[in-house]
Amino acid sequence: MVNSMLETGIPKLDEYLSGGIPKGKSLIYLNYPGVEGDVFGMQTLYHCLTTGNNCIYVSSSSHPNMLIDQFSEFGWPIENYKEKLSVIDAYSSLVGDISSEKFIVPDPEDVNSITEVIDHVIKEVPEGSVFIFSSLSTIMDLCGEDNTINAVQSWNKTAKRNRMISIYNFTAWPYTESTLVQIKNDIFNCVINVGGITQQVIYGQYFCVSKADWIKFQERSMLFRVLRPGGIKIYLPKILVTGPFNAGKSTFVHSLSTRAVSVDRKGTTIALDHGHIDYKGFSADIFGTPGQNRFDPIIKMISGEAMGVFLVVDSTNPENFNRAQQMLEITTGYGLPYVIIANKQDMQDAISTDDIRKQLNIPEEIPVVSTIATEKKGVFEAFELLVDKITGGI
Amino acid sequence: MEGYSLGIDKLDENIKGIRGGSNIMMIGPPMSGKETIINDIIYKGLKSGDAAVIVTTKEPGENVIDWFNYNNLEIPLENLGIVDCVTKTLGVPTSETSNIKRASSPVDLTGIGVKISQFLEEFWMKKNIRKTRLCIVSLSTILMYSNIQTVFRFLHVFTGRVKAAGAIGIYVVEEGMHDTQAIATLKQLFDGVLEIKQEEDSHYIRVVGFGKKSSPWYEYSLDGAQIELKDISNGE
Repeated sequence: MVNSMLETGIPKLDEYLSGGIPKGKSLIYLNYPGVEGDVFGMQTLYHCLTTGNNCIYVSSSSHPNMLIDQFSEFGWPIENYKEKLSVIDAYSSLVGDISSEKFIVPDPEDVNSITEVIDHVIKEVPEGSVFIFSSLSTIMDLCGEDNTINAVQSWNKTAKRNRMISIYNFTAWPYTESTLVQIKNDIFNCVINVGGITQQVIYGQYFCVSKADWIKFQERSMLFRVLRPGGIKIYLPKILVTGPFNAGKSTFVHSLSTRAVSVDRKGTTIALDHGHIDYKGFSADIFGTPGQNRFDPIIKMISGEAMGVFLVVDSTNPENFNRAQQMLEITTGYGLPYVIIANKQDMQDAISTDDIRKQLNIPEEIPVVSTIATEKKGVFEAFELLVDKITGGI
Repeated sequence: MEGYSLGIDKLDENIKGIRGGSNIMMIGPPMSGKETIINDIIYKGLKSGDAAVIVTTKEPGENVIDWFNYNNLEIPLENLGIVDCVTKTLGVPTSETSNIKRASSPVDLTGIGVKISQFLEEFWMKKNIRKTRLCIVSLSTILMYSNIQTVFRFLHVFTGRVKAAGAIGIYVVEEGMHDTQAIATLKQLFDGVLEIKQEEDSHYIRVVGFGKKSSPWYEYSLDGAQIELKDISNGE
């Protein structure tokens, strides 16, 4: 039975959208350049086909002959759903190639030419079909920004009239401000931002619902990875907790975590602390490393996969700050965002966070957070600050 | 941040290194050996421990690797990434390898951008390599399928990524294929230009934009994969 809400097939996203997309609505995957946002539209198409929906796929940046290959990379045999899938070829004419598709856009550089074919296709497919555009940005590049925005508005109206759902992949290249504002705010019922976590390179990808006019809105984000085969999978980031011997790293990991274990001997960590946190819609795995130099290879190993770092220092023990700096150098070499934990602030001889910042030579934009890990004081504030650093405050 | 050298001795001596984060246009007439020069810059970088990403719009990825083999240039393949924009366009059934990722077509700037980003992430995060050379061979092919504004937007993003990663980017443009306004538009995005010219049967190369004045024109010849620069030419 086909549900009245259309599932996107993206893990967690349907839950965020209260079950999926209602008939007649439009959704755009707004992709940051360089992240694998196109897979969202592909995964939604395949999921729609497997759940019994009729779909129309507008292929504008590659030859439709390649679709089977492109989808099979992810383990999605779309060739099994030929009866349910109509393809509009908005590419071949552009490069002077031959097309075997039934629906061909004669001039992909003219948005009216695309509209004419869409209007024709709509008459041939059942009511309630799903429209998926492989790359709206390619259409915009070829046909111009204003023309495309106007056309999208008319396509969405047509889709609504026919109780269809329209879904767009769009790469947010630096178009004019007014185009991007209209796309983000005005012309779609739902906007899913697909972004990258960037320092020197894009080292993580996330999606978040930034607009959905059929639900009580709550902005939530989720990190993901793209597997071949498999498609989009939710990814729990690793967060590294490091710092000199006896700074309180294990206590910090345990006080932050929903659940945690440590491998220690006589109270000293000799392998790893491991914890897991679910806090305000953000989940992460936390790894604490031992403080002694001989365990530095473990820091390097985890830094290569981590998304962020807590450097824990004992505020009563400035003699260990040199070692703290050494450890920081190892992790910052990977370009990871970090937060300094000034622990044991309840002790009488604890020095202030300002002094710690000076002595460790920490730049102003890096938070130095006062904590008492044994009482869980300051630990969640520190976590929120690091999450902000990782996601850029999204 | 450590600088880069091109590995072309006289030019390097003249410009005294290229700052990480620089983006360079290489422009010259057809058949002047631009690909050989690019491959040589890549080869020298790989030999000195840098990583390299080549976006190829004219040759399938395998051909790029074959060029190094054919010329007996041993390279650490694990540090080389190729974004192949050709093979899928030819409709040849193929899959990706650890070195070669394939974009759908030269029109698929989104796909090309994703593959570049993936290689940059792999070299920086997983392989801990801090110096990468990104070469697009060539921008002219991309410009044949997309208009100048589209390519400008794409380059605007990726020259920024090159800066953020402290890499260097070299972008090949065929002289004579584009109008001067298009070239001037693109030049805004670059820190310098590697210029190649042909006079009668001789080819010359110089660097513009690094240092207070342009380097002199050096006559060069290509012997297989080897570039030999002769003495400084007297005139323009």
